[in-house]
Formats: sequence, C-alpha cells, structure tokens
Amino acid sequence: MTDRRRFEQVVLPHVDAAYNLARWLTRNDHDADDVLQDAMLRAYRFFDTLRGAPRPWLLAIVRNACFSWLRTNRPADIESLDERMPEDETPGPEILAARGVDRRRLNEAIAALPVQFREALVLRELEDFSYKDIARIAGIPIGTVMSRLARARRLLAEALKPAAAAPRLRVHK
Amino acid sequence: MRTDEKLHAYLDGELDAAASLELEREMAQNPALRAGHERLRELSAAVREKADYHAAPARFKVRSQKPRAWLLAPAFALVLAAGIALGVFLAQPRDDDSLGAAVVATHVRSTLAGRLIDVASSDQHTVKPWFNGKLAFVPPVKDFADEGFPLVGGRLDVLAGQNVAALVYARRKHFINVFVMPTKEPDTMIHPPGLRQGYQWRHWRRQGMEYCAISDVSDSDIYELAQLLYQ
Repeated sequence: MTDRRRFEQVVLPHVDAAYNLARWLTRNDHDADDVLQDAMLRAYRFFDTLRGAPRPWLLAIVRNACFSWLRTNRPADIESLDERMPEDETPGPEILAARGVDRRRLNEAIAALPVQFREALVLRELEDFSYKDIARIAGIPIGTVMSRLARARRLLAEALKPAAAAPRLRVHK
Repeated sequence: MRTDEKLHAYLDGELDAAASLELEREMAQNPALRAGHERLRELSAAVREKADYHAAPARFKVRSQKPRAWLLAPAFALVLAAGIALGVFLAQPRDDDSLGAAVVATHVRSTLAGRLIDVASSDQHTVKPWFNGKLAFVPPVKDFADEGFPLVGGRLDVLAGQNVAALVYARRKHFINVFVMPTKEPDTMIHPPGLRQGYQWRHWRRQGMEYCAISDVSDSDIYELAQLLYQ
C-alpha cells in the first residue's frame, strides 16, 4: 500500500479530534482551518515517525502547530502563564454544582481559560485521553498534566459561579 | 500528591488501586471531601455533555474541489502524483471486497487535485456524446436535478484495471461518483451497501451494464440515486 493510502486510512479518521483541538486552542474557525491545514501537511511529511497510536501522535503535531501559530499571532495568549497552584485548596463550597449550567455560558467559560489549562481540559474531557497521552501531546510531565487539569477545573468552576453581586433568589419551601 | 489533585486523578481513573481505596475510605469519613468529589464529577460531566465538539470541515475528510483543500497544497500534490504514477490499481478478481477496495481507491483518487470531472456539464446531452469514441461502450447518462441529484459532469476512469465511465452527481455539498462499465453478467438487484474508510457504495447490474455509486454522503442518499438510475 502506498504511503498516501496508509496515511488516509491511519490518520484521516482522527481529523475531527485534530480540528476540535485546533479550534479550541485558536478559538475561531478560520484560524483553526489554517493551522490544521499546516499540521496535516506536517503530519504527512513526518508520517514515518509515527510509532504506536496515531491519535496522540497527530494531536501532538496539531498542538505544536497551534502553539507556534499562537506565539506568532497571539503572543499575549501564551506569555507568562502562572502555573503555581495556590496552596491547600481542598475543593470547598466555592466549586458549585455544575449540573444545570447553561451550555453557552459553559462554552464561553472554557474558551476564556488560559490556553494550557484549556488544552488539558479539552484533551481530557472531550477526547478522553489518559494523563500519559496528554503528557505526550503537550510535552509535559504527568505531574504537570494533573496540576493543570486540577487548575483548569477549578478556574472553570469559579467562572461558572453566579456573579457575586447578583442577588440570591429566595426559594420558599 | 495533594488531596485536591488526588480527587481529580480519582475522577479520571488515574489513581492506583491502593490510593483509590485510601481516598474512598477518607471520603466515607469526610462529607466535605465527598461533596467535593461529587461537584467535580458534575463539572466534568457538564463539560463532556455541553462543551462544543468542533468536527473538521468536510474538505479535510473528502478531498473536495475547493482550492483551499489541504491535499491540493503544492508540496503534497507532488508527493501524491508520485504515488498515483506507481499505479496502485491492478486488475483483481472481483469478489466484493476487492471491488470495494478498487471502488474506494478510484473514488478517492478522483477527488484529489481536481480530477473529478473531465467534462463539466449538467446537460446529459453534452455528457453522453462526450464519451463517444473514448470508450468501447456508451453509458446511459441522465440528469436527476429535479430529484436533488444534479449531474455535474463525467470523466474517464480506470477501475480495477478496466476503463469505466464515471458520472458525477452532486448531493448538497458532496459528490457521488457513479462508475459504469459493460458486463455480460445477468441483472441483479441493488446490493446492500458496502462500507470502507468512511465511504459507502451501492453496486448493481442492469441491462448489460455494471454500476457502482460511491460517496461520503449517507447510504440513504446513495440508495435514492441508485434507484433513480435503476429505473
């Protein structure tokens, strides 16, 4: 079988996952298109470096294409991100039940997360990758995957809190 | 690992058995921890259910004719041309599986680099004569624009080593390739759908012609066109 056909069979089935990641990292369709086009070409060129599962391999390429695109076009998105976690934060009552959250609000809150937390969250919740795969895709240690995910969820929960100033509705039982 | 992170790892199925047991024991004793776990679980479920999943535009899956299609990038086209020149499509015994492989290969190849259509016309009276003298047979050519399958053109192609007529129909933004070649085999019904690499096809023989309709559109669309052609 030619490389091209093998590429189509092995890699193209994961193009949705690739686009989903690019779309969440660039936050718009047009830029996601451009980045994915570039990433797919790179993937084809480096097809012979594929070892093991194709999905994390492809997403690592897409991820790197996204970050270099961001560095050039939206440097503010990736500069000086504070990775430290505030100490001693067992999940407290401030993480509210997310069950009833509005879809649009949730999407906006995810889009507003700093990029490396957004990346960890998308790879985990939308692609169901293991920590090991996320570590491979993002090029970070597994411990960092864990802290980024924890941070991502905490930031998300905080963003979904009802606005502090909003008056509480009183419910009579 | 901090308790906070342990909860996340536990939720994600990434905590080893011993640590999971220990955490479960802790949660049994500590209602606040248990509630924390429950809220995390809900947050995670909300993201999974409600966050947008952005599927790739069709052109990343099926090589469409748009100039922006990534497969048309010049570097890629060169590599592809080399692949195509090698001639992957050898004549094979035509059991269903190798027919499927050949049909998919020919379909995919046709959608690359603008090779879909040699004669572009929605007029069956233009397309049909175009095949004259190019093939040893004349394929039936009909337009089904009124039924939602406008004819957009035709081309010569090679399927499993045999020269075939390819009729191209549009279905919304997608294309359906209908391969037509002569056969001495008896008529058949429209066979059940074949599926391979995300493409689907329908195959049948009718009045001395063998047909195969293939596309990435749904099988119900392909079947509808097959029925129109079968009449």
